[in-house]
Amino acid sequence: MAAESPISDRKVVVHLRATGDAPILKQTKFKIAGNDNFCKVIEFLRRQLRRDTLFVYVNSAFSPNPDELVIDLYNNFGFDGKLVVNYASSMAWG
Amino acid sequence: MELCSKEAVKYVWEGAIPLQIHLHESEVTTLPPPPPILVLGSRIGYLPLLVPLIKPHFSSTLPPGTDTVWFDYKGLPLKWYIPTGVLFDLLCAEPERPWNLTVHFRGHPGDVLTPCEGEDSVKWSYINSLKEAAYIINGNCKNVMNMSQADQLELWQSLVKGNMDGYLRISSRLKLGPLGEDCIVRSASSSAQPRQAIGEPDFTGSGRPCRIPVRLYVRNISEDLDDLEDAVPIDNWDRISYINRPVEIHKEEGHLSFKCAMKTLLPKIFFEEPLVDDHEFLREGETVGADSSYGDSETIGGSWNAQAEEIPFAGQPQVQLLKKSKIKMIRIQGIELDMDIPFFWVVNNLKNPEYFLHICVFIGTSTDQSTFR
Repeated sequence: MAAESPISDRKVVVHLRATGDAPILKQTKFKIAGNDNFCKVIEFLRRQLRRDTLFVYVNSAFSPNPDELVIDLYNNFGFDGKLVVNYASSMAWG
Repeated sequence: MELCSKEAVKYVWEGAIPLQIHLHESEVTTLPPPPPILVLGSRIGYLPLLVPLIKPHFSSTLPPGTDTVWFDYKGLPLKWYIPTGVLFDLLCAEPERPWNLTVHFRGHPGDVLTPCEGEDSVKWSYINSLKEAAYIINGNCKNVMNMSQADQLELWQSLVKGNMDGYLRISSRLKLGPLGEDCIVRSASSSAQPRQAIGEPDFTGSGRPCRIPVRLYVRNISEDLDDLEDAVPIDNWDRISYINRPVEIHKEEGHLSFKCAMKTLLPKIFFEEPLVDDHEFLREGETVGADSSYGDSETIGGSWNAQAEEIPFAGQPQVQLLKKSKIKMIRIQGIELDMDIPFFWVVNNLKNPEYFLHICVFIGTSTDQSTFR
């Protein structure tokens, strides 16, 4: 978790992890602007995996609203310096 | 002071916004055009849940085709996953009664709003917010995940129907509240004893701070505004700063006032220091997290490169607060709060059913354009 108070212009490291039979990406760690919305991550995954139906979660726990800022998600749910995002082709944690 | 008031919770559950819903003129195919429909929108509910009431009223005049329902207020498409009461408190600086909204069944603006595919979309959003809140409070959301399907469904139906007692009966099993003065989650019957809970709060008896889920919406209005009616209406969601940041409270701070809690969320506003140093916002972009092995890792969002790192956030207007900003008003559940109220009272009684406290903050600034984080 970030030690200082969040500044919107920071980059956040996102670790993308496949769940179930979802395809595994060659590169799984990316940086994204803290000020971007979570929907950027969702769209990125959709483009990379060429799939429209994707279920995207944080820490294998819940699906954040696409409007959430990545920096907020990182500050609230990140650990070990990154935000873990899981993706699946079907509902994994309903 | 009694930190839990069933009476207050009842007021919140029974709160509703009188709505006057007009069909957008482009979708009217009959003469005379249909009159608007008057509907009560539950404060803690969501606009798409009203569609079964609204649609029959307009269905005979709609053009043929498939529907994707969305609402707008003065041209601003409304985010359907924000509770109705919060939308009203935030967008209507001066409460408008009835609140005039426009409903659309076609032409969904996919670029600014995620589509709502009926009640299931709203339920999904609600359950995930509940899990998120549980995660913030407990460090995991096992309690929600372990709920039976039947319980989840009953919880949702209680919310849809405004059945407070039904809701409280099931949600109490989640052990997410209410909070006592020592920051410990209390159940109605026992005090600080270990309980057979579906998911136990980690912080009981430990030094770990308790965390309270908050969704903060900050809107700037002109500082010189005498009459809220004259506030410039929001035409774009970029004009609102949305912050998802929990309030962290250490055990010793149990008697926190609402004002103190707000200070932790918006320190720059509350400490009332003029932001004269513009460079505060122009600091070079840093990467959070200590790991340096990501030096060459790709960046999501395309246009980032080494030079762009000096530009704080690409595409966002770089605006700072030019002089002292003052809180004009803070609204929760339509109430303008007294800053001295114990914060736990506010949380226990004014939170929404998904355990988030939604706070609308109106800040007076010298320039209408400024946004704040």
